Amino acid sequence: MSSYFTRAKDDLAYNERVFVEGKGHFVDDIIKPGALHMSIVRSPYARAKILSIKGGMSSKDLGARMASVGEGAMEGKNSVIQPVFATGYVNYVGEAVAAVFADDRYKSEDMLDSVEVEYEPMKPVVSIEEALSSPPIHQGLRSNIISEGWRGKEFPDPASPIVLEDVFMNRRIATNPIEPRGIVADYDGKMLNVWISTQSVHSIKEGLCEALGLGPDSVRVMQADTGGAFGSKGGLYPEYVIASYAAMKYHRPVKWIETRMEHLSSTSHGRGAKGIVKIFAERSGRITGLKGEVIVDAGAYGAGMGEFASRFIATMMTGPYMIENAHVKSTSVLTNKVTLGPYRGAGRPEASFFIERMVDKLADELKVDPVDLRIINSSESKFRSPLGMEIDAARPFLDQAVKELDYRRKAKSTKNIGFSFFVLVPAFAPGETARVRVDGGKVSVWVGGNSHGQAHEVFVRKLVNEELGVPENLVTLYRGDTGMLKDGVGAWGSRSAMVGGAAVISACRKLKEEVTMKFGKYSVQSMLSGAFDVYVNEEQKGSLNSFGANLATVDIGKLGSVKVRECAAYYDVGRALNMDMVIGQIQGGMAQGIGQTLHEEMAFNEDGQLLTASISDAGVPLAEDIPNFEVKVAQNPSYLPHGAKGLGESPTIGVPTALARAIEKASGKRIRETPIRPEHIL
Amino acid sequence: MENIKIRSRVNGKDIESEVEPRKLLVHYIREDLGLTGTHVGCDTSNCGACTVLVDGKAVKSCTMLAVQADGREITTIEGLSRQGKLHPIQEAFLEKHGLQCGYCTSGMIMTSFWLLRKNRNPTEEEIRKNLSGNLCRCTGYQSIVDSITYASKLMRAHETEKEGIMVEQ
Amino acid sequence: MNPPSFEYFAPRRIEEAFDILAKHDGEAKILAGGQSLIPLLKLRLTSIPYVVDISRIEDMNYIRESHNELRVGALTTIDDLENSASIRGKYPIIFDAASNIADPLVRNRGTIGGNISHGDPSNDMPAVMLALGAKFTIASARGERVADADGFFIDAFTTALEYGEILREITLPERGAHEAGCYIKNKKTAGDFSVAGIAVQIRFDNSGVIEKAGIGMTSVSPKPIRARKAENYLKGRKIGESVIREASRLVVSESNPSTDFYGTVEFKKQVLAKITEDAIYMASDRAEEN
Repeated sequence: MSSYFTRAKDDLAYNERVFVEGKGHFVDDIIKPGALHMSIVRSPYARAKILSIKGGMSSKDLGARMASVGEGAMEGKNSVIQPVFATGYVNYVGEAVAAVFADDRYKSEDMLDSVEVEYEPMKPVVSIEEALSSPPIHQGLRSNIISEGWRGKEFPDPASPIVLEDVFMNRRIATNPIEPRGIVADYDGKMLNVWISTQSVHSIKEGLCEALGLGPDSVRVMQADTGGAFGSKGGLYPEYVIASYAAMKYHRPVKWIETRMEHLSSTSHGRGAKGIVKIFAERSGRITGLKGEVIVDAGAYGAGMGEFASRFIATMMTGPYMIENAHVKSTSVLTNKVTLGPYRGAGRPEASFFIERMVDKLADELKVDPVDLRIINSSESKFRSPLGMEIDAARPFLDQAVKELDYRRKAKSTKNIGFSFFVLVPAFAPGETARVRVDGGKVSVWVGGNSHGQAHEVFVRKLVNEELGVPENLVTLYRGDTGMLKDGVGAWGSRSAMVGGAAVISACRKLKEEVTMKFGKYSVQSMLSGAFDVYVNEEQKGSLNSFGANLATVDIGKLGSVKVRECAAYYDVGRALNMDMVIGQIQGGMAQGIGQTLHEEMAFNEDGQLLTASISDAGVPLAEDIPNFEVKVAQNPSYLPHGAKGLGESPTIGVPTALARAIEKASGKRIRETPIRPEHIL
Repeated sequence: MENIKIRSRVNGKDIESEVEPRKLLVHYIREDLGLTGTHVGCDTSNCGACTVLVDGKAVKSCTMLAVQADGREITTIEGLSRQGKLHPIQEAFLEKHGLQCGYCTSGMIMTSFWLLRKNRNPTEEEIRKNLSGNLCRCTGYQSIVDSITYASKLMRAHETEKEGIMVEQ
Repeated sequence: MNPPSFEYFAPRRIEEAFDILAKHDGEAKILAGGQSLIPLLKLRLTSIPYVVDISRIEDMNYIRESHNELRVGALTTIDDLENSASIRGKYPIIFDAASNIADPLVRNRGTIGGNISHGDPSNDMPAVMLALGAKFTIASARGERVADADGFFIDAFTTALEYGEILREITLPERGAHEAGCYIKNKKTAGDFSVAGIAVQIRFDNSGVIEKAGIGMTSVSPKPIRARKAENYLKGRKIGESVIREASRLVVSESNPSTDFYGTVEFKKQVLAKITEDAIYMASDRAEEN
């Protein structure tokens, strides 16, 4: 067959080249001769006392240093860190209790039967309400509250003509990247080498060093091609410690690949937040005050985001709006479920859901257009919110969004329409690292955050080309490797293009200086003829806003099935380093937003047993569940050298709220939670 | 447990192996044959990351035993390109950015191959329906649908070209 | 995640299959397309020490017309059913069900025999077979017998197939001049498991009066069942709004869904009522077109 393919394959970025031919290097593709396969014995109970364990490797084998602090308080906090193996007690279905090792994955699964664990089941704490009213699930704690605080300042109830209250829930979801977690660990007597599917080799390395008591020169963590992550592959998990420990103990490489069922039960969930909101408003529509509470279902241990999430959500409760007074209580509670972790948005979608649903409620109360209400509450100038967010002037963007999304005309032709407005504050601090090396006429780049589908190489090539004039096909971004880049942060929180890009630019500029110093002036040829190696740690202290808006229209079938007709986005990306990438990221995020709103939930019964038994049950949308998207971007450059702003999480923030409103209008039923089940709208 | 002898044609090559009856076809392909382009993404036959062609039909290789492949013709993602040149479907996925992390991609491409064989010019709705056995978490599917539509265009243009008719692409 | 060890046999003649089944008295399981059995093996919920793969047995994969009946070999894939012009033309109810089973990749391997004999209350073909009044030719070492679909489905994962018997052929009865059917499946999302499915096959006489009705239900009871009250009610009546509504009410009264991850009892009954109405309308429209 003759080929229409005219661009030389070498010119393509890595991700473009390899995956269509099946030539990727995912962690399960890594074959190490003599490797052991590891399988994990997991708790079938949400809460139980462990009476005995016969067989396998378990907590008693790990040695005092790594053994859990499981049944004891963290110093100074009413919290408990996650033990490597469950120790004394199990606290969620799927918690690792023991590990077995065999020559291949079939045999290691067979070996699971050889481990006998005796349990004494206990009553689990499953819901947020139970958590607040039950004794602590861990001995030594005062309660199940692991963090509690306030954002903003107390204020007396204003004498407002309008006072509205409501309660909301975003139920727990699994991140469900199509590639589950996995690790290969190999110890050569001096160095622990680890290959892993991850968003941050540096985060994993730090965690392993601490858990195993190893110095930083004894551990090297290398990123395999990573098949999606969305927040769940950023940090340390017990299986990584166990596999590494076993590799060191048995002097054989150890491979562990997560099954999907394990992913559902034992990889951190996202969302899981309850919001109670009260707003005070004038008849003009101005919201003058907000009081509220955020309670996060943090899971069984104080690891992950659980502790932090409630405070984070509380900070963003006023959204992009200029609301004078706000006071929000934040609480994170322990439950007998897997720990809560970041999932694309990581608190931002929850906060936006809470405030946007109230704004829509106020619009209905005042019988005004919900977009006009948003305009009234948006500021023309920069301000600092009472909850502590720095927010740029929102009004200009909002006015433009209304035009770009053609809201007015669409709102006239259908009542089943929803519009959402938000500000994304990406995870800027503390910055990011980059290393740029010139050798043999080629440029190699390493960045602290590791791409897991976002094709970072594409924008890295572009930036290097812009800064240094190097042809893009001579630039390679390598996968994360702590052996090649000594430290770094990670790829999450919509930060990669911004902070990763900024670090790359900084490294390029430093490189340019070195070249100029060496040759008297700068030219691409002289640079490529030499050998250079530059590292930067580009700190970021400020903060950045990325405004966004979504519009959705729906039809509802007689049985409560929702057909998403239109789903449109208008986001300020600062500068689109690569428009195809930008659109791809947005479309993918919009599908996840639809998933959260209509299909996805990790459901538990009253015994803490997972009712969601497969990736299909978990609600990951299919192609026929998803419409075509309309994506438009604004490019108002940020102050960063490349002008980019945060992007990745915008869709998961903006889509659920726009969709919830459209469904509310179409069904006539008030929408307070996600996912929205057909029963809710029948 | 006794191993069973199987003989199949994989990507055009005749291969004889001995396998445990319980070995899933996907593991035979990945481990025994070293063809790691086919992936495992779930354990309940939902995600389709393991899609290959068996006797020309797209199937989930995680829901087939290697022993069931005896006497059959198997095509994996590695078998699509010819002498380093990409199949139009692969080109289309590149051109229309039908992938991000790449993990579901081989499955998507193999299903597309089968779909375009049985339906040369599928509508968008037909494409989406026929992808109900293939999950993607990164792209939101639109670029995948665009890739398959474009692939269909490329392949139809190929055919007419072959017939000696000059067609605009 | 991965199957436990088992012994595997792939007989090429059906007599061989009987021998192997007899030799492993009660412990061997039949494998056809594997789209039900292999997921079960992977879950490791039950021990299956012997697997008899019947997919190599000759002359079990066909769709043949014979004296106005349609005979379908048990190893006919769901995909082949979907693509068959004679199935789509003569028994569109089967096309409806086939095109809604799981996804196209599963349909490329799954067989009609497997979908009927596995006994999962959420398999789609049983309700269709009940509605059609199909007959099953069952082969064993003792010879062959013919069983009605009615009475074949005994309980969840239990059919009238005795150990050692193999479902060989499905006979679809002769169709009347004004007869047609419809199968509607309501799914939670576009994913596999159904909230409810309804199979309706109606035969009208020349004046538009219902001569015979067959109604089968999926997922709304522990086993696939017929809605006999509704069937009897429809007999002798003409299609009309109130008739359809009453028939649908009767169907719901005969169902026995449970609250689970896919919906509450109330919701499932609501769904069943609506899809029953829609299916009856569609069946009668199709019969008219004939």
